Amino acid sequence: MFPTPIQKASPFVQTAYKIVLPLALVLWLLPLIGVAITSVRPASDLAAGNYFGIPSGFAGLENYTAVFRDSPIGLYILNSFKVTIPTVIGAVALSCLTGFALAVYRFKGNLLLFFMFVAGNFIPFQILMVPVRDMTLRAGLYDTTLGLVLFHVAFQTGFCTLFMRNFIKGLPFALIESARVEGVSEWRIFRYIVLPLMRPAIAALSVLVFTFVWNDYFWATVLVQGQHAMPVTAGLYSLNGQWVAAWHLVSAGSIVAALPPVAMFFLMQRHFIAGLTLGATKG
Amino acid sequence: MADVSLRKVKKQFGALDVIKGVDLDVQDGEFCVFVGPSGCGKSTLLRMIAGLEEITSGELSIGGRDMTKVGPSERGVAMVFQSYALYPHMTVAENIGFGLKMTGHSKELIAERTARAAKMLQLDALLKRKPGQLSGGQRQRVAIGRAIVRNPEVFLFDEPLSNLDAALRVQMRTELSKLHQDLKATMIYVTHDQVEAMTMADKIVVLSAGRIEQVGSPLELYHRPNNLFVAGFIGSPKMNFLKVTVAAGAGGSLNIALPGAALQLPSHGVSVEGGEMTLGLRPEHIDATGKGDVVIEATVKLAEYLGSETLFFVTLSDGSELAVKADGLAREKPGETIRLGINAKACHLFDANGLAVINGDLTR
Repeated sequence: MFPTPIQKASPFVQTAYKIVLPLALVLWLLPLIGVAITSVRPASDLAAGNYFGIPSGFAGLENYTAVFRDSPIGLYILNSFKVTIPTVIGAVALSCLTGFALAVYRFKGNLLLFFMFVAGNFIPFQILMVPVRDMTLRAGLYDTTLGLVLFHVAFQTGFCTLFMRNFIKGLPFALIESARVEGVSEWRIFRYIVLPLMRPAIAALSVLVFTFVWNDYFWATVLVQGQHAMPVTAGLYSLNGQWVAAWHLVSAGSIVAALPPVAMFFLMQRHFIAGLTLGATKG
Repeated sequence: MADVSLRKVKKQFGALDVIKGVDLDVQDGEFCVFVGPSGCGKSTLLRMIAGLEEITSGELSIGGRDMTKVGPSERGVAMVFQSYALYPHMTVAENIGFGLKMTGHSKELIAERTARAAKMLQLDALLKRKPGQLSGGQRQRVAIGRAIVRNPEVFLFDEPLSNLDAALRVQMRTELSKLHQDLKATMIYVTHDQVEAMTMADKIVVLSAGRIEQVGSPLELYHRPNNLFVAGFIGSPKMNFLKVTVAAGAGGSLNIALPGAALQLPSHGVSVEGGEMTLGLRPEHIDATGKGDVVIEATVKLAEYLGSETLFFVTLSDGSELAVKADGLAREKPGETIRLGINAKACHLFDANGLAVINGDLTR
């Protein structure tokens, strides 16, 4: 078996493993820990230059209430949801359809089309910045959540299509053929056979897209200016401007902003069951 | 009425000819088996009848209606796949009723037909389970149930038993035969197993490399194979082939030189040029006790004692090898000499092109 179970390694390796693993974990989490500690640091610490040392006191309650009281972070979070949820639904729904079409039907240019979806992912979005901003401006979508949603849906669908197409390709094709012989229409095959079997893929992709879009900072700053449509990632930046280098508050805001994707992951985790298709064919 | 007829049906995958022109009629209510080695195109042919593969050229009609260009959903056929293709997220009952539900049948009708099919296939107790909780044989039965409920005119089976273990396969074989008697529907069945073909078929179609080699009832194929391919394919162990020199003898008979003996074969009025030909002898038609029109001696190389019968693999004096099916009490051991009796009536003779000239028809 590879990798060899750690229980079978020599005592030295076992001990080393037990020491190094937590160490590596802490090292990896260090930035996050830093942010978490800063978020409960009293403002006086930062003024005194105590950035990384032990906080002189616990000011978590003050800092977090200050974030909610003194800034429109509630509105920013709401905006983030207004951008992220429609994007997740739009991109996943669209890619279910494109993935099904590309995986199931043989037609001329199928592969070419598929490659175009994939190739879209490789375009650095810095290149797109100016034209996309121009386009949204002309379409009257600049500085709106709708503009952000439409762009994210378009940009995420490429990756999602790759994911969905490959997932559907992995389903036993006999299921689709069997339904066809039974007289089931193509739409119903998609709706009642393929879609239910795609649940793990839909769950996985939803979490991924949710995280991508929620954490997006670039497009939020490019396509949005006003508070009314500003997602929380870009909103945090304006927080910083409001209180000059109020790092403890920015950290607290960051922690709050990071909670939804984490919650999303734990909520959807149970859907990550592999092998829903087991038993469909011989076994 | 649901006879299936194929006229000059061809299939090409790119430049590759897979089906090279098939003409075939399957009568209404017939159990027809396509049999052949892997890669001979039998599954492709079945999928063309189902509508899952396009027909490159030629015509297909089912029940007198032209179905060449009709989609699979409108052909009125039901198909059972080798992999069963059960929908993993549905229960057995939902699997069976799915096709009916999707084509707009009433709930009562679906429930009634599902119950009837489940009873017929002994699935009553399993209706609430998912396919993942079923054994191979049970899954197979669900797949068949799904086909039955639609009351199709034609059933198509694509190697349905090949994923089952040997004992279950024998049981399912008889169940399928019984099902055919009960439903009296046209069934087309693909297998590479000639025993399945022999036991179930009304009509066997032997395919090789995209062509039909021979069509006939199981016994016709056994007793009167058209060519070397069919002769070698039907029957187990397979027919022995000996390269022999044939010369015309007196009174319309043929003289065949065997190692250590000369065999006289009645020509049955067929004119035979003679020369190098192939003699076909089924292992079960060689008498290991030395009784027959001519007797040759051979050395036992290998013996398989099966109890009900003994299989000898022997070498003749010229080095050619034969398989012989003997009585289970035969006790010759490897290295011993055995006397083989050959019955002239049981001999098949094939010409240089592999076509049968004389069939050793014991029923004649």
